[in-house]
Amino acid sequence: MESLLIRLELKLNTLKANARKALVAYLVAGDPDLESTLELMHGFVSAGVDVIEVGVPFTDPIAEGPIIQSAHDRSLKKKITLKKIILLVEEFRKKDSNTPIILMGYLNTFLAYAEELNNIHNRGVDALLIVDIPGESNLNEVGIYNKSIASISLVSPTTSLSRVDGICKSSSGFIYYVTLRGVTGSEDLDIKDAKQNIENIRTKTILPIMAGFGIKTSKDAAYLSEVSDGVVIGSSLVEMIHRASDKKDYKYIYNYLNEISEAINK
Amino acid sequence: MDKFKDLPDSDGFFGDYGGKFVPETLMYALQELEDTYSKLKDNNEFFANVDKDLKQFVGRPSPLYFAKRLTKYHGGPKIWLKREDLNHTGAHKINNTVGQILLAKAMGKKRIIAETGAGQHGVATAAVAARLGLECHIYMGANDIQRQSLNVYRIKLLGATVHAVKSGAAILKDALNEALRDWVTNIEDTYYIIGSVTGPHPYPMIVRDFNAVVGRELKEQSIELFNKFPDAIIACVGGGSNAMGVFYPFLEEDVKLVGVEAAGSGIKTGKHAAPLNDGKPGVLHGAKSYLMQNDEGQVIDTQSISAGLDYPGVGPEHSHLKDSRRATYIAVDDVEVLKAFHNVTRLEGIMPALESAHAFAALEHLVKDFSKNANLVVNVSGRGDKDINIVATMGGISLD
Repeated sequence: MESLLIRLELKLNTLKANARKALVAYLVAGDPDLESTLELMHGFVSAGVDVIEVGVPFTDPIAEGPIIQSAHDRSLKKKITLKKIILLVEEFRKKDSNTPIILMGYLNTFLAYAEELNNIHNRGVDALLIVDIPGESNLNEVGIYNKSIASISLVSPTTSLSRVDGICKSSSGFIYYVTLRGVTGSEDLDIKDAKQNIENIRTKTILPIMAGFGIKTSKDAAYLSEVSDGVVIGSSLVEMIHRASDKKDYKYIYNYLNEISEAINK
Repeated sequence: MDKFKDLPDSDGFFGDYGGKFVPETLMYALQELEDTYSKLKDNNEFFANVDKDLKQFVGRPSPLYFAKRLTKYHGGPKIWLKREDLNHTGAHKINNTVGQILLAKAMGKKRIIAETGAGQHGVATAAVAARLGLECHIYMGANDIQRQSLNVYRIKLLGATVHAVKSGAAILKDALNEALRDWVTNIEDTYYIIGSVTGPHPYPMIVRDFNAVVGRELKEQSIELFNKFPDAIIACVGGGSNAMGVFYPFLEEDVKLVGVEAAGSGIKTGKHAAPLNDGKPGVLHGAKSYLMQNDEGQVIDTQSISAGLDYPGVGPEHSHLKDSRRATYIAVDDVEVLKAFHNVTRLEGIMPALESAHAFAALEHLVKDFSKNANLVVNVSGRGDKDINIVATMGGISLD
């Protein structure tokens, strides 16, 4: 059976070959409910999203700012589990076999389902992004033994160059460059540092580099896409989803994503 | 196998437990701390300064006191009390903050943050920050702010800012989350004084080392007062810093070590804070350790009469001591604790903190295993002044 690690690589390589930047979009599974998440995922793709990061809720998400924390809490109140999220991905795959899917979350929830994770590459998941494991660690070192999924690591403005090498060696898919010192959705986007730091990472790896944390406007997205291979939009989407959760009319979100997709590919 | 006293290993593990499970932004700060500490660890001048502060600012050594009437009450082994309640600011917590503030100073950090549950660590942090004129922010769960209002006011009097944390159950765990988020955001100028032997490496080691003065003193005092080491040492365990501090110098000695967790409403009810008795290994706040969690890997709410023990995790070194059977961990419930609090207060004229009252309550279960000639030491981790409102409320008395 072909390794599904290929889906993420193929997507990113194709974008590169066409001189296009990737738009990665994040949402928290089950906020406001799983049906909406499924609808939003398909809607994201139609609006120009290339890769989807599905947030797995955790009671103690220490890297998240208030917006994503609240979304985790709302999702947990709906009793969303990793098991249900994998089923959601399978459902998504019925209509979309091209868009790579990354599960993003915290180690403890993944460890609770360590066995179930062994075959998630056959169920449509392409990568894991575990926020609280040291970047140098391989997934199997922390107790997740699936070798057919990509492991995406974070590099931050405070990561020393000596560690970047080790982090890149144990990563696959892409490198996620954190564009600020802080939690998700903060205001102090560190645009100046980003260029230099991303250039430094490039000396250590051939993997694509995505920039994320705190990118809200198409202007910021456009600037960061010039120095990276794509951008990740998270908190602002989560906030917009929450604001629209009453009427479940998500059109303005798709317009917003469309605008960003165009801005990064001018 | 490594000797207990030689742990953690270079990756910060005590056997299977510990490590550095944090967001990437924090890795640099942990490395910086580890480098600074390993340099200063062998620096006599640094430790001479720590010792001087422990003596002149904290009031060490704390006495080892023979509890004559409590011994008679239990009718078994001799019961001795290691009086950490007599320390400046009222608990063992100051041993750690005195040391860590000097690390912060050595690293040139201008801003101090800390989390607190019962408020003792908040007070101990605010006190050392005040002394060095450093900006200080204390994160505290909104529920704990209510039940430990005396300490909240003390922290404010000492010039620190108290941030009420309303997320989650608004207790210690949530305060830790928020302190970590502050640290991620202000990483360059901020030093985070973690208050227990929890969190990512190197914190469990550093906090233990600074608290180990308690065990070192006890070694000398026990020889002086009864000519041998104690037969057993009993200490309460939330995160586990007072226990680790008194246990550590005895890890390679023939001394029984007993940690006492908070059984809250009872282990069987599930409403407690006893991960070593009724949890399973997991990862929270930067370290792998026993954890109160459900089958989905979500951390569950804890319950205890004592805010300082009301925490779903525990220091990784305790998890290792449990698995390797070097220490024993039992749990006592709120009713037993309250009874022990009153008992010790009346019999000895010493009002222990509700946290420390857990160690006293454990005596009921333990004394039968020892002869009359045996010597048991209870670590009185703190004093109970902060808890009189809770004790009064539980007794149906209003102090207003």
